[in-house]
Amino acid sequence: MIGEAYVCNEDDVLAYLAGELECEDDLEMSVHLAECGECRDWAADFRALDRVIPACCKDEAIHWHSFASPFGTMYAAATGKGVARITWRELGEEGFVRELESSFPCRPVVRDPEALADVEREMTQYFRGERTEFDMEVDLSTLTEFERDVLAELTEAIKFGQVLPYSELARRIGKPKAARAVGNAVGANPVPIVVPCHRVVRLDGGLGGYGGGVEYKERLLEIEGRADLLRAS
Amino acid sequence: MPGTTPAARALHGPVRAHAPDTIESREGARIAPPKGVEGWIGRYGAELRRHLTRMLSSEADVDDLLQEVWVTAIRRPPDTGPGSNVRAWLYRVATNAALDCLSKDRRRCCALDGRLTQLLPERTATPGDGLDGLSEAGRERVREKVALLPRKQREAVWLRWVEGQDYATIAERLDCSQASARANVYNGLKRLRSELFEIWRKENER
Repeated sequence: MIGEAYVCNEDDVLAYLAGELECEDDLEMSVHLAECGECRDWAADFRALDRVIPACCKDEAIHWHSFASPFGTMYAAATGKGVARITWRELGEEGFVRELESSFPCRPVVRDPEALADVEREMTQYFRGERTEFDMEVDLSTLTEFERDVLAELTEAIKFGQVLPYSELARRIGKPKAARAVGNAVGANPVPIVVPCHRVVRLDGGLGGYGGGVEYKERLLEIEGRADLLRAS
Repeated sequence: MPGTTPAARALHGPVRAHAPDTIESREGARIAPPKGVEGWIGRYGAELRRHLTRMLSSEADVDDLLQEVWVTAIRRPPDTGPGSNVRAWLYRVATNAALDCLSKDRRRCCALDGRLTQLLPERTATPGDGLDGLSEAGRERVREKVALLPRKQREAVWLRWVEGQDYATIAERLDCSQASARANVYNGLKRLRSELFEIWRKENER
């Protein structure tokens, strides 16, 4: 590989560092690095990146994955703390990644089916009627404290098959006059279904709105055996 | 006849390094080299020392790294089966150790002639954490640079460099050819190398 007319290039140095060169080429590059200051500097730089990138980024990455669901392609993303985004809006992969990039600036967004395997499994079980609550952790760190309080309370208070009016949820978090603000917080839920905001309804028996589209709220309530609410509304 | 060219002499033995009875590891433990490694020390010790001397200016560093090479050979011995090449393996271990030493060498930080590694902060008390004394702001900027890579480059760099996946896996994940996967890794790293230089420069000004 490295003969008389060899022209140094970074790709060869990278191939060497990644252990991708054949045995003799590998040895030649070792010897070349001792002779060539420029290649040696490149190699030392890349070795530095090899230490620094994983150390700085490993726990900070946003992993995402998409999978089929009865609602269409479902996109999910997780931080090291838990699942942080679930959507079935027709964003396409690029659109979903762009949303993640703007929601989590300075954090590397990378596709990783393994990191989302539990989310896919639990979600599939839910749609099949084999699961009534989720075991996965959620990361709501992009929300305000108030929004987190509302979502935590509704997850805790409203179990599979139950519903609760916005006003009652407001009362339970100690802010009985803040039904509208509670409604907004419920609407900010980044992990629908897992945080079951579809179980919050209007006091008059109407279903109320739903970020993912009210027809999906109806289908989720049907899955949970509450078709009676649909007739009432 | 062996010993007529420098390479042959190195391979066949007129230049024989003294094989020590024990090797001292970085943690200070003394280890008696097994027979195979003892043979390699005798056969390749001298040329590896010359190799390291060409890469590093400090004799003390050369001594340390040579010990490190033998410790590695004892603890994680190379494949010695058919088709293997212990000499190439030893050169690689020595070269990587020397590159790490260069990239961390505080003395080189003084000469600000534009090289990333010359600006790396000093080795920290906790070797292996990879941060080399980077501040949280510095880490944030590293993350930002990785985050701002084009999507395919970012994912390819991540899978290869952070997770150590092979190109077949990366190609499958990115839905592209293996050649394209590799090009994305390389192009991403080349871009990061030039951008991260700025980060270390700022860190050095702290």
